[in-house]
Amino acid sequence: MGSNPAARSTALTHDAFTFVEASGGIEAYRLTANGLQVLLLPEAAAPVVTLMITYRVGSGDEATGLTGATHFLEHLMFKGTERFNKQQGTSVFNMLQRVGARVNATTWIDRTNYYALLPKESLPLAVEIEADRMRGARIAPDDLASERSVILNELDRGENEPLRKLYQAVWSMAYVAHPYRHPTIGWRSDVEHVTVEGLRHFYDTYYWPNNATVSVIGDFDRREALDLIAAHFGVLPHAPKPIPFERTREPVQRGERRVVVRTAGHVGALMIGYKVPPALDPDADALNALARVLAASMSGRLYRRLTDQGLTAQVTAAASHTRDPGLFYFMAMLAPGRTHKEVEAAIYDVVAQVQAEGVTEAELQRAKNKLRAEEAYSRDGPYAIAAQLNEAIAAGDWKLYTTFRERLERVTTEDVQRVAQVYLLEDSRTVGWYVPS
Amino acid sequence: MTDTIQTAHDNPLSAGVEERVIGPCRVLMMPTPVQGVVSWEGSFTAHPDMAGGDELVQAITVRLLDKGTTLRDRFALAEDLDNRGAQLHFSSDALRVGFQGKALRDDVPDVVRIMAEELRHPLFDAAEFTKAKAQFMAGLQRTLENTDAQATAALSRRLYDAAHPNYIPPTPHSMAQLEGLTREQVRAYQARHFGARDLLLVFVGDIDTEAVAQALREAFGDWTDHEAPPLFSTAMGVLPPDQSRIVLPDKENVDVRMGHTLSVYRQDPDYVPLYVASYILGGNFSARLMTKIRDEMGLTYGIHARLSGITREYGGHWDIGVTLSRAYVGQGLAATLDEVQRFVDEGPTADELEEKQTTITGAFKVGLATTGGLASTLYRHAIQGFEVAYLDRFPEEVAAVTLDRVHRAVQQHFRPDRFQTALAGTLAEATVSEA
Repeated sequence: MGSNPAARSTALTHDAFTFVEASGGIEAYRLTANGLQVLLLPEAAAPVVTLMITYRVGSGDEATGLTGATHFLEHLMFKGTERFNKQQGTSVFNMLQRVGARVNATTWIDRTNYYALLPKESLPLAVEIEADRMRGARIAPDDLASERSVILNELDRGENEPLRKLYQAVWSMAYVAHPYRHPTIGWRSDVEHVTVEGLRHFYDTYYWPNNATVSVIGDFDRREALDLIAAHFGVLPHAPKPIPFERTREPVQRGERRVVVRTAGHVGALMIGYKVPPALDPDADALNALARVLAASMSGRLYRRLTDQGLTAQVTAAASHTRDPGLFYFMAMLAPGRTHKEVEAAIYDVVAQVQAEGVTEAELQRAKNKLRAEEAYSRDGPYAIAAQLNEAIAAGDWKLYTTFRERLERVTTEDVQRVAQVYLLEDSRTVGWYVPS
Repeated sequence: MTDTIQTAHDNPLSAGVEERVIGPCRVLMMPTPVQGVVSWEGSFTAHPDMAGGDELVQAITVRLLDKGTTLRDRFALAEDLDNRGAQLHFSSDALRVGFQGKALRDDVPDVVRIMAEELRHPLFDAAEFTKAKAQFMAGLQRTLENTDAQATAALSRRLYDAAHPNYIPPTPHSMAQLEGLTREQVRAYQARHFGARDLLLVFVGDIDTEAVAQALREAFGDWTDHEAPPLFSTAMGVLPPDQSRIVLPDKENVDVRMGHTLSVYRQDPDYVPLYVASYILGGNFSARLMTKIRDEMGLTYGIHARLSGITREYGGHWDIGVTLSRAYVGQGLAATLDEVQRFVDEGPTADELEEKQTTITGAFKVGLATTGGLASTLYRHAIQGFEVAYLDRFPEEVAAVTLDRVHRAVQQHFRPDRFQTALAGTLAEATVSEA
């Protein structure tokens, strides 16, 4: 995959759309009437299509008092509009699942997305539904009341999972000002007290065509898809006010932070998060390569130093791929009888070794080879592509998905060593221990 | 009703499946238009002695398969797979040892050879055995904290004989067995239970069929059957209806599982009508239970009804599951039972039947959109004893179910008054009460 200016010659001309650019087989258009971004990727390996809409809003846009709003709206968007609702027997789930669609939505820190993987002949229905609920969600008091208890149960289920609590505790400790500190599901008291008015205000601030991307992937005709999108989304206005973009900037972290999570349980865990730049930063690719080298199943350094030595039952590393500065983190589940202290020390040994000696060409090449295969696998069915495209949109540029492999190919062992030296520092890390009691 | 599934009468999907016998292997190959990717799934029957605790021995044996062979060490094997970006997994699945793989087209033959090497010549290194035990123990300890796993396991113990493949022993029992497990037991298990019994492999994608066939010939051509006889019970419904309560501290949420055994095997004519009936009750978000208990009453994040553990060799059970915040356990349980009873008393409506028939057949089609999904479906049908054409026949069977047929099946087989129940979480009583 890669950028392909020559693809402009195959792009469609359409009265309602402006062709913007193409990359990796994906064509980007803008709906002229209201700024909706549209991405088209025809892939006819099977007679199915994925329709996804990504709103560029997530828990990173929420303030204390209204945390969990994006996630709450995710639930309420399924409760209906004037046209698609349970009372008329036309609820969203009903309409889409009866044709065999796999339907769901997810929310995270920079985005919320709604998607349907469905037989290709049902694409018009899915487009109509997404356009209708973009500005037509009812957000009714009765629905809010019933969904509140559903979400509180979802929150309770999360509380049952120690690793989830640990993950959230580290993010909340790592960020003192930026909204990445808020759990995506919201703080419990905010969920308990959120109002229709508060959610309506949030919805009216962010849920507009010019803050959204519609992606169509799979077996479909491009012109027919554009016609459908124009017909259903074209009647929606551009947001009346600018979409807020700036978030409270996190101050530079100048010292290690630590947090302990204690709950009944049996197996301890450890998470270490380091502050790293956002996905659009030039160093993001080297950080991603570093994570891949370290976490590469049995051939990776973390496995060899920790799991293979009996310190951990599992250990991994990942670089978050976010709009604002995120975390490069290690997550480890302790082996029985091992201590947090020794596992933490072993992880620092791995980090120190990379900082001092770098990684080998063989390790880096293995990571690149693996990515080449993963890219092929991601073309096996339209949903896998949609999921990765979703994160690229959220991070600020959908082409992060199509250009990832060529960017990773350019990463050198020197780059990897350098980012380990620059970012994996004691003063920028937050350490969390889950201690079972 | 819209039905766009290709039928056996015009352009059947299954016509693209090539069936071969290669040495002891039954092989299904289905080329698809995807570029460069092949997924596969398969298994052989190992016949663990279920009453003798072999299921755990099998699980540890499987865990050690990728930890080195007599020909290559574990790191050489891992690097070989990682260099190709190939994925290879082994699983312990009750009576079977399973394997799943995904690789680029040109790498498939070599990865198949690695798979065979790991199945046939595992090293069982002493240090790796010790580590595998520790990792498995950590997994069991995590299971102790998991309300869903504990409720599911407790229900199984109310429903099945201890030697039934669907029976899940208490976690402390498994932990004690694991403590005493020796490397010699694992070695002996592999020697006695690994072999080409019902060896089945399904490949889907951009397959170089002759190259894969050659690799299979080389890898498995001389693999013989093993000697282990089938040793499991089909006995079910051993206890009178009652409730198990597993008390776990510090849990905000309680998981509940309810159900009773079904004397229906996969190939029975009543299976599909019961499957459709259960789907109407609790198969997806727009089914009755989610609509009532979650959407209207707001009592739960998740609730389901499904047929569980039914194969062609043994029966399973009707499983109702619901997740409830502590404050709503009583109310949620009562509401769920009310709704289930109402469904059994009244049966589904014609509209419900039609809607769920199109849902199931449509979802079936969507599930075949990836090489992995197609391989998995073909594999599942094959081990259930169906011919390849069942890929086209299943949606037809679903579409052909009549309302009368569903009503009769529900009346004959679904009996909420016989429910066993298991709850796990921070419950009111401080004692554990379990048979």
